[in-house]
Formats: sequence, structure tokens, C-alpha cells
Amino acid sequence: MLLQLKGIFKWVNSGGRRVFLLKDVDLDVEEGEFISIMGPSGSGKSTLLNVIGMLDDFDEGSYNFLGEPVHQLKEKQKANLYKEYIGFVFQAYHLIDGLTVYENIETPLLYKNIKSSERQALVADILDRFNIVGKKDLFPSQLSGGQQQLVGIARALITKPKLILADEPTGNLNSKQGEDIMELFRELNKEGVTIIQVTHSEKNTEYGSRIINLLDGGINKSV
Amino acid sequence: MIKNYFKIAFRNIWRHRLFSFLNILGLTVGMTACFLIFTYVSFESSYDNFHSKSDRIYRVVADIKTPTEVVHNSGPSWAFVPHVTEFPEIETAVRVMGDLMLFTKDNLKFNESEVLWADADFFNTFDFPLVKGDSKTALSEPLSIVLSETLAKKYFADEDPMGKTITLFENPQQQPATVTGIMKDFPNNSHIKGSAVVSMTTITKKFNAGLDDQWGNYSPFAYVLLKPGVDAAAFEKKLPGFLEKWDGTHMKQIQMFPTLFLEPLKDVYLRSPRDGYGSVKGNINNIYIFSIIGLFIILIASINFVNLTTARSTERAKEVGIRKVIGANKVQLKFQFIGESILICTIAFLLTIVLIAILTPSFNQLAGKVIGTGVFNNFHYIIYLLGVALGIGLLAGMYPAFVLSSFKPVTVLKGRFATGSSGNLLRKGLVVCQFAISTALVIGTIIVYTQMSYMRNQELGFKKDQVLVLDTNGDSGAKALKQAISGLANVNEVSLSGSVPGAGYPNAYSEIENAKGEFQIANLDLYLVDFDYIPLYKMKIVAGRAFSRDFMADTTQAMVLNEAAVKMFGFTSPEQAIGKKFKQWKYEGKIVGVVKDFHFRSLQESIKPLSMRVDEGNMDYLSISLNTSNLQSTMAAIEKTYQNTFPNRPNSYYFLDEFFNQQYQTEEKFGKLFLIFSLLAIFISCLGLLGLASYSTMQRTKEIGIRKVLGASVPNLLNLLSLDFLKLVFISFFVAVPLAAYFMHKWLNDYAYKIKMSWWIFALAMLIALLVAFLTISLQALRAATSNPVKSLRTE
Repeated sequence: MLLQLKGIFKWVNSGGRRVFLLKDVDLDVEEGEFISIMGPSGSGKSTLLNVIGMLDDFDEGSYNFLGEPVHQLKEKQKANLYKEYIGFVFQAYHLIDGLTVYENIETPLLYKNIKSSERQALVADILDRFNIVGKKDLFPSQLSGGQQQLVGIARALITKPKLILADEPTGNLNSKQGEDIMELFRELNKEGVTIIQVTHSEKNTEYGSRIINLLDGGINKSV
Repeated sequence: MIKNYFKIAFRNIWRHRLFSFLNILGLTVGMTACFLIFTYVSFESSYDNFHSKSDRIYRVVADIKTPTEVVHNSGPSWAFVPHVTEFPEIETAVRVMGDLMLFTKDNLKFNESEVLWADADFFNTFDFPLVKGDSKTALSEPLSIVLSETLAKKYFADEDPMGKTITLFENPQQQPATVTGIMKDFPNNSHIKGSAVVSMTTITKKFNAGLDDQWGNYSPFAYVLLKPGVDAAAFEKKLPGFLEKWDGTHMKQIQMFPTLFLEPLKDVYLRSPRDGYGSVKGNINNIYIFSIIGLFIILIASINFVNLTTARSTERAKEVGIRKVIGANKVQLKFQFIGESILICTIAFLLTIVLIAILTPSFNQLAGKVIGTGVFNNFHYIIYLLGVALGIGLLAGMYPAFVLSSFKPVTVLKGRFATGSSGNLLRKGLVVCQFAISTALVIGTIIVYTQMSYMRNQELGFKKDQVLVLDTNGDSGAKALKQAISGLANVNEVSLSGSVPGAGYPNAYSEIENAKGEFQIANLDLYLVDFDYIPLYKMKIVAGRAFSRDFMADTTQAMVLNEAAVKMFGFTSPEQAIGKKFKQWKYEGKIVGVVKDFHFRSLQESIKPLSMRVDEGNMDYLSISLNTSNLQSTMAAIEKTYQNTFPNRPNSYYFLDEFFNQQYQTEEKFGKLFLIFSLLAIFISCLGLLGLASYSTMQRTKEIGIRKVLGASVPNLLNLLSLDFLKLVFISFFVAVPLAAYFMHKWLNDYAYKIKMSWWIFALAMLIALLVAFLTISLQALRAATSNPVKSLRTE
């Protein structure tokens, strides 16, 4: 078991009333799964993803990640945990504007204090694999959306995470680019990387092995 | 990693050129100003530190109590030094006196203004090293002279001057003096200025034997070098007994009781309230004021830095979020941001050095003396500066670093994050602080300038325009010169006198019959004049009459007092003083007139009691009242006449109004420096404001777009965007007023005649601050307000 959510609640207080963002969510994820989270806008997809990624807190419930009780960990311990095991891919790519493709991919390694020679080898490998060697000195603004997302995924993969969390990874892309990205995810999944994606597209769910439907913060089991 | 930080930092500086430019410019200007002030302050505080025995040397000064007042004199009487050596505590004691003298050698002739008379131990007491000659004996014999290297070159070129002679004109004598030594030029930070030192024995043994025993005659300065371990305070306590022993009976007889004090040498220039040589006088208050201004400027510059960086931090929040998600921890992020701010400071530091190198000559000119010779001559200053730069970088980088690194990635990445009201409040507070300082400086500048113009335009009580003054230096040809010049065309009136307003004058031991009919002793300031003096200067006689050739006795037996003197002797009206008897020096007679008070010294001082008497001898100044049509030819004629009368004297003349205003030189310099530094402060504050305004308009681009679509006009928007900032400037005004009022009140207290701090000064300062701020802001606001709303709204 990679991770297990049990009875997760998250809420905000708005105008004296409690508004639930997540309501009693239970979720088990095994290693090697490819899960798609679906649901209408405001159903809590991204919130759930952020909770899983430990970027966001929850108010009630328990969360175990590789046997670690996340709900009992301190901020710093959580940060260490997600840095080690989780890679993030965003709809808006979230590359650093001031850095080149190469540097964007290299940055996570810098933060892990990996030696220069090793960094070079790792980055070169992944550039090669994603066929973007020729683009390594370009800045994000010089790339197409699909290429930027490719860099985003490369950056998420560079630290060899067990789990990739992707928040509408194809949301800003045209259909051809979207397909390429999904193909890439499928390949990664075959290699053993667990993937959880948030998506609006039925088509994208076909790449996954399981679909979770959210409605108003809770898992809609009727679908 | 470090390399990576640098790379990113450089790219960031470049990507945000406007912000970086404002940041670097503000810091550079601030640090340059601060550095120059620091060099100035440390130069002013370094006076006389170079003497190796400076902590054992004291200047001896005297408070002389007369029946009417206490005179604060800068030296003891002539007899003090020759007698004080009886104390075992004394290692050496020297008298030093500054003088202006005509030197001639072959056909070279110059008026030397920095000639010193000094006792034999002068070079053994002070560290003025001799290049040639023996420091122990150089000043022993009468008519020995030690020249500075510069002067030696001036008179002897490449010759060896040792043993050669130079002719001194010291009225009435004209004497050849033998060069017994060559000394290094005195350092700039010496309160004793001298380009030549003549042996004091020339006066005390040759010109005026007996001075060594005169206890009631004050003129030279005196310095004592105490033996190591002697307690100055304890020694000072022995001096009253010493005076009593030597001079007790005489003191009582002339009713002048001196008390002697020891002033540490290091305090003479900056802290002593007493006069120094000529205008060589520092002012500790100015030093404090400038130090504060320096601190303020660097504070303003640092505030800019913090404000601009934190303002931008919202913009960088996304980057921080990404970095955190992909694995950065807080420490790493803090390093990055602090590193960036240190880098900016380092760039500013390098630019500062360049700027200092460029500005040093002009700064020296402004300060009126050579304070700095080159950037690297005081290398340790540069190290301090680097320390300051790095310190600012660290401190200013710290706040944004902490704020930014604590962002929660998820909120930031969602694109909405609390524009922390705390950060906003801090920024606003800092802007208020900046403008409070700037406005206070503006108020200060206006007050300094108003006071200066007040002093210059104040009715002085005498005619100062179109009066030319010639130095006759008391030459025996003075009367002939007067005669010759009075015959020239366009010369209206001519008068010879011992003093002119703004110049020095003697004071005389006097006895005047007062209102009660007793002879009252006083130390009266004395103007020796001729019959033409009072009419030439258009001084007003309020009682009695001016001196007149019609009265035979006027040449020796008549005195004119000013109103202040009349008051001092207890008369209720000037008329009462007429006909009262006086004794002054060897003269006796009656008071014939009272002149309306006129300012014979600067307006910094109140008008003191003054006596005037006729002396038809050869006196120092020839005043000429001119008709200014054809000024050039008149001047040429006067110069020619002067040369004919005094073939061996260089021309020396000036217009009285300029001469009188020279007394305000220090104020003028002070005012100029004040003006420059307050302009800088405003400038830097505005840079910061510009940055903040552009940032805030950027943040509100969308809002502006919406408002425009809804029909807001450009003035509406300008209003909206500038009002927030103008409010801050307005608030700062109320912080500035008490601050400025307090300090400027203190400053004005030094002046006997001063302006009132009226409301318009403050109103004007506020207007200036508001206007400058408004212009700065509207620059940005106008651009935002006139842009096409479609552009700003499309991004959504």
C-alpha cells in the first residue's frame, strides 16, 4: 500500500457557516496504480490532490503514506516526505521563468545537494529520453505549451519519485499535445510510477486504471 | 549551488531592470552621500590628533572678570608662559600668535596671512617636523624664521634657504630675518595654521621688551605640555594661586580678574566656544547635525531597498511556491534572497567608489578644505563602507527572505495569496518615515537660507554698499594715500581707521563716568577713526555730535559711544551720557556724542558696547565711498595710486559688503551642504516612491481596467492612484514639523538676530514634499490610467 486516506474532512468557515471542501474521503492507493480523479468544478479535486501531495492540511481524518502517519507529522517532516517521494505536474506548468529548460530540470537536484557531475548525468539522461536536448538552453517563454509541460514532467521525474500528482496536466494543451502527454504518463506508469491525475476529460481517464468521482467534497460511489 | 544563486540573481536583476535600477541608484547615492559626510565628520574630529603628545597638551584660556562683564579670552596674558615654567609639572610652555605680514625678498613681495609668532619650544611641543634645521634652537634667537616647504619654494625656488634672509614688515619696523629651518607644511587638520614661524623673541626682546612681564596684556595663545602623569585638573587648581602671587595687587588695581582654564588640545578646534586662529574653528553642533543627516540618508536608502524588495516579493511568490514544491527548503530560499540583496548592495558599493572618486574634488571645494585626496588613501574607510553595504544587503534582504520563504506553496500557486496587510503597513510606515525625514530636511534648508538672507539684508546701521576698503597695514604712507585718493574722480569720501565693520578691533581698559557719577571700569571695544569716518559710513548720531575738526580737543579728548555702551553705564537716555568724563589708555576727555547701534560684527552676535575715538595716525584701513559710474577706471586709478604710494606692497582691497558677508562663510557652506543633502534625501525617497507607485499600479492594473470600462476618467484614476501615497506624505508632515522645529530652534539659538519660524516655512516645505511626491507618482499613474483596458483585462 502506497497511501491510505481515512475519513478525511477539510472545511473553511465562511460567513459563520462551515463549508466542506472534503467530506469523509476514504481512499487506498496501491503502488503502480494510475488513478483519475473526476468531478465538476468545485467538487474538491484539486484540494484532494493537494492533501495527498501534503501541500495542504486537512482538518480531520488520518493519512498514511508508506506507513508514515502524515496527520501526525510536522511541517518539515512532511516537506521532507513529499520531496523524497512525490513529483508534481501542474496545469499551468509552473516553470520558473528566469531559468532555462536545463536549469529548471536541474533545480530539484540542487535542492537535494546532489553533486555537479551526477546532476549533469541525470539531467542529460532525461533530456535525451524526452527528446528535448535541443531545447535545453531555451527559456520557458520560448517553448510551446506541450513542450513546457514536457519540461514540467521531466522536472517532476528527475528526483525519481514513487508518485506523480498531476493537476489537469493537459488542461492548457491542444488535443495532439494532450495525447502525447498522456502517452508519456502511461509509459511511466508501466515502469512502476504511481500516478494520480485530476482531469475533466473522459478520454484521459481511459489511460488510467481507476476513476474516483468527486461531488461536493465527497466520493460519489454511485458512478 | 552558490554559482547557481549568482546566476539567478544576475538574471533577476536584469529581468527587473527598473526595480534594480531604482534600488541600485538609491543605494549608491545614499552610500556616497553618507560616505562623504562620514569623511567630513571624521576629518573634523581628527583635528590635532596627529601630535604624539596631544593628550598632554592643553591650551590655556582665560575668563576675565571685569566690573561689567566676563570676557572669554582664548589666551592668558603675555607674562603667563615665561612664569608658568616655575611649576615642575610643566614640560614646555609656548605662546603662539597668528599674524598677517608682508614678506619681501629681492623683488618678490607677498602678504603672508598665516605667519605665526612662537616661543622657542614650539617645535618641541607640537609635532611639526623640520626638514632642515634644529628643532631645539631654530626659534631661540630674535629674527629667526622657519619656513614651510611651500613657502621656501615660493621665495627661494631651488636655492637652499638656510641662513639666507627674508625681509619682514612688522610695523613700524622693517627687519631682515634669517631662515633657521624648513618645516613640513602643516597638516590640514591642524587648528594651528602657519606657513612660517617667526621667533617670539623678536617681539619680546627686540620690538617690545618687557612684554614678558605684562600681566594685564592679552594677545597670544598659550599652550602647555604637561609632564607624563600630571593630572590636568589638579594642576588647573594651582593657577589661581599662581596668578595671585604674581599679579594680585595689579589685578585689584585695574579691576580685571582672570581665571585660567586648561583646554585639552583635541577639544580646541571642535568643542571650545572660544575663537581660534582667524576662521579656523569647527562647530560640534554642525558635526552632530551632519552625522544625523548622514544616518538619515542611509536610513532612507535602506528603507527604499526593503520597500522595493518586499513589494516585489508578491511578484516572486509564484517562483517561491514552485521552488518549494520541487524541493527547496526555507534555508535555501533565504540564502537565495539574501544573496540577491547582497549582490545588489555590492554593485551599489562598487558604483559608490567610482562616484566618490569623481565627487571628491567638488566636495573638497564645497567644504572649503582638502578633506579627502583619493578614494583609496583612506583604505580602511572603504572597508567600513563595504561593511555598511553588506550590512544593508543582509538586513534589507532578511525581511523579504523571511516573508517569502514562509509562503505556503499551495496558496501561492493557486494564484491568490494574502497581500499581507502587515507588509503593507510596514511599507506605509517606512514611507512615512522617509518623507518625515525629507520634509524635516527641507524645513531645515528653508530656515537656514531664510536666516542667511535675513542676515545679509538686515539693516546694519551703516552704509555698506559702494564702499571700497584698502589694507594699508598701518604703513607710514597711509595718510599720504588718503590724500592722494581723495583727489580722484568718482571718489566721494575717504576715511582712515583702525577697524571697519566685520574686521577685528582692539578692546581697551576704560573708565567712564556713569549715571551715578562714579568712574566705572569696563573693557570696551574700541574703534579708532578719523573725522571722516562717521559721515562716510552714514552712522546716525542719536545724541550730541560726531567728531569734528571744528573742535580742537576732538583729536584726543573726545569719545563717541554706541547705545549699547550708554545702556551699560546706566544712562536712561543717550543725552545723559553727553559731557560725561572718560579715561581710556593714556587719554582723558569727555563724551561728545552717541551713535546709533550698528552691527560691527556678524549678526550671530548681539551688538556690544563700543567706544570710538579719533586717532589721526597711520591706521590699517582706508575706506573709500565710491560713485559706481565708471567703476573700472576708478578702480584702476585707485590701484595705481596705491602702487605709487606703497611700491613694495601688493594690492589688497575689497568691497565692504562682500567683506562683511565673509563672516557668513561658514553658514553659507553649512547651508549649501544642508541643501545638497536634503535634495539627495528627497531624491532617494522619491526613487522609492516611484518604485512603490509603479508596483502598486501594476498590482491594480486589472482594477484600473475595470474602472475604465465602467467609465472612469483619467483624472479620476490619477486621483485614485495617487491619493493613497499623498496621504502618507501628508501624515509624514506632522512627524517632520516637531522634529525640524526642535533642531532648528536649537540651531537658531546661536544667532543673536534671527528669523522667526513662521508658518509659511512649514507650509512651503509641505507643499514641496507633496508636489514632488505627486509628480513622482503621477508619472506611473498616468501611464496606467491612459492604457487600453482591453489589454489588462484580456489576461484573465
